[in-house]
Amino acid sequence: MSILFSGRAAGASSKQIHPLQRWLMFWVQHLRQCIGSLGELWRTPLASLMTIAVLGVSLTLPTTLHLLVKNVQSISGSFTQAAEISFFIKDDASDTQISTLVTMLSADPDIEQVRFISKSDAMAEFQQVSGFGQALQLLDDNPLPNVILVLPRHTQPQAAEQLRRRIEQERIVDFGKLDIAWLERLDAILLLMRQAVLAIALLLLTAVLLIIGNTIRLSIINKKEEIEVMKLVGATDAFIQRPFLYTGVWFGVFGGLLAFLVVELMVWWLEGAIGQITDLYQSHFTLMTMSFSEFLALLLLSVLLGLAGSYISVSRHIHAIEPSGP
Amino acid sequence: MLTFDQVSKSYPGGFIALDRISFELAKGEMAFLTGHSGAGKSTLLKLISLIERPTSGRVLINNVDLKRIRRSQVPFIRRDIGIIFQNHRLLMEHTVFDNVALPLVIEGFTGKEMVKRVHAALDKVGLLDKVRCLPETLSGGEQQRVGIARAVVNKPPLLLADEPTGNLDPELSKDIMRVFEAFNQVGVSVLIATHDHSLVARMRYRTLTLKQGKMINDGLLQYEEPL
Repeated sequence: MSILFSGRAAGASSKQIHPLQRWLMFWVQHLRQCIGSLGELWRTPLASLMTIAVLGVSLTLPTTLHLLVKNVQSISGSFTQAAEISFFIKDDASDTQISTLVTMLSADPDIEQVRFISKSDAMAEFQQVSGFGQALQLLDDNPLPNVILVLPRHTQPQAAEQLRRRIEQERIVDFGKLDIAWLERLDAILLLMRQAVLAIALLLLTAVLLIIGNTIRLSIINKKEEIEVMKLVGATDAFIQRPFLYTGVWFGVFGGLLAFLVVELMVWWLEGAIGQITDLYQSHFTLMTMSFSEFLALLLLSVLLGLAGSYISVSRHIHAIEPSGP
Repeated sequence: MLTFDQVSKSYPGGFIALDRISFELAKGEMAFLTGHSGAGKSTLLKLISLIERPTSGRVLINNVDLKRIRRSQVPFIRRDIGIIFQNHRLLMEHTVFDNVALPLVIEGFTGKEMVKRVHAALDKVGLLDKVRCLPETLSGGEQQRVGIARAVVNKPPLLLADEPTGNLDPELSKDIMRVFEAFNQVGVSVLIATHDHSLVARMRYRTLTLKQGKMINDGLLQYEEPL
């Protein structure tokens, strides 16, 4: 494209080049600049490593916190049993009344599961577990009530509470008991943690953006002379920008990989200690590590940050550099 | 090819660098632009290469008014003008090949076509054997010739040179001038800014002389024996 000389076949279009080939050449150019900026990083290994390290560490913290929240959530998920509601049945209720209620509750759409524990079953279990076996046999009659255990379909505290109030209206039900206070607390803590992770992540990601922007700014200033020459021989801003944008992308790729490695290392290191704790509590808890999609998300985020950081810098500084004279 | 029509350029603070300059450079013509330093030679070249814009008047290249050229179009204008700089402005960390290939890379050349053109340009300035060297290993004259090769590698119809022989001894200057003459003979318009009076006089080409922003001579200079 020549603006001045319409007859002059300028540039690559001077040869009869097939559009497909020109399209290919465009990507070859991109690839060349992409690899070229990797070479640039290699030329200043220390500075590049520092930037990558900053990026990696900054991404490690939010990633670790995310894993922590994820693991805590998985633990709390296994405690849905705790949202069980116990309904104590009045002593004067007949067996038919009880079995009618059990059938009715089983059909209730809000209820996942119903379990009836008769007073004799409860007594047997109590004798076994409590260790008062001999002493309990001395009692004249069984003081324990019949109990219906209900597992609500919706385990959120409000929904469970609503269900409890509704079933408490039944004539033979004495009262229902739902231990949700601690569940509510756990939920609140989890929410707090999630929000804290989000806030910390946002702060760190902003820092990453600024750090990359500044690094790119410095390398633009270092290459001021070269940029001026390129502008003088007819390079467009877009052409000059590209290597810097690719540098940002490379920072992102390596920073993301570093963060992934650090997190994996940390998980591996902590796994032993956590195993000891869970053994003491006689539970089988395995630490959840990053899934593949989470790894990809981390990498994508990191690359986007690198690209955005360098774009902020590039769009301002490359435009500003103008050759001062021939 | 190149037309200046009542062109003035003044800088903030009231300094008038160019004062109503008018001249025309025909297609395939070669001319010198002389004058003491500060006479406005550099400003004139900056107006052509769109580094600066005139305060008033019109600059036309091939009858296209440069006033019409938007900022985003400037790079494409510069691809049609080969510029040679006094301090040659080579990229010192890149080889001679990379330096000369730069305009071609910018225009999207790849592979064999690019190599062919770079070698042709270096051959014209007689530096084909230095293609893999770094510029700093070359002499001043050779560096200047690499600069010329870079300016002509994409075959621009107009060639501007700003003090191309500024730091060179007379022997080398003559060599450089012969290179310019060779390009001129194949139809390239050449405008050379220089303060080397004796060189200008010897070469016997049309000479535009500036003094304090005004054009005081347009035509052949009388031959003067160097002192």
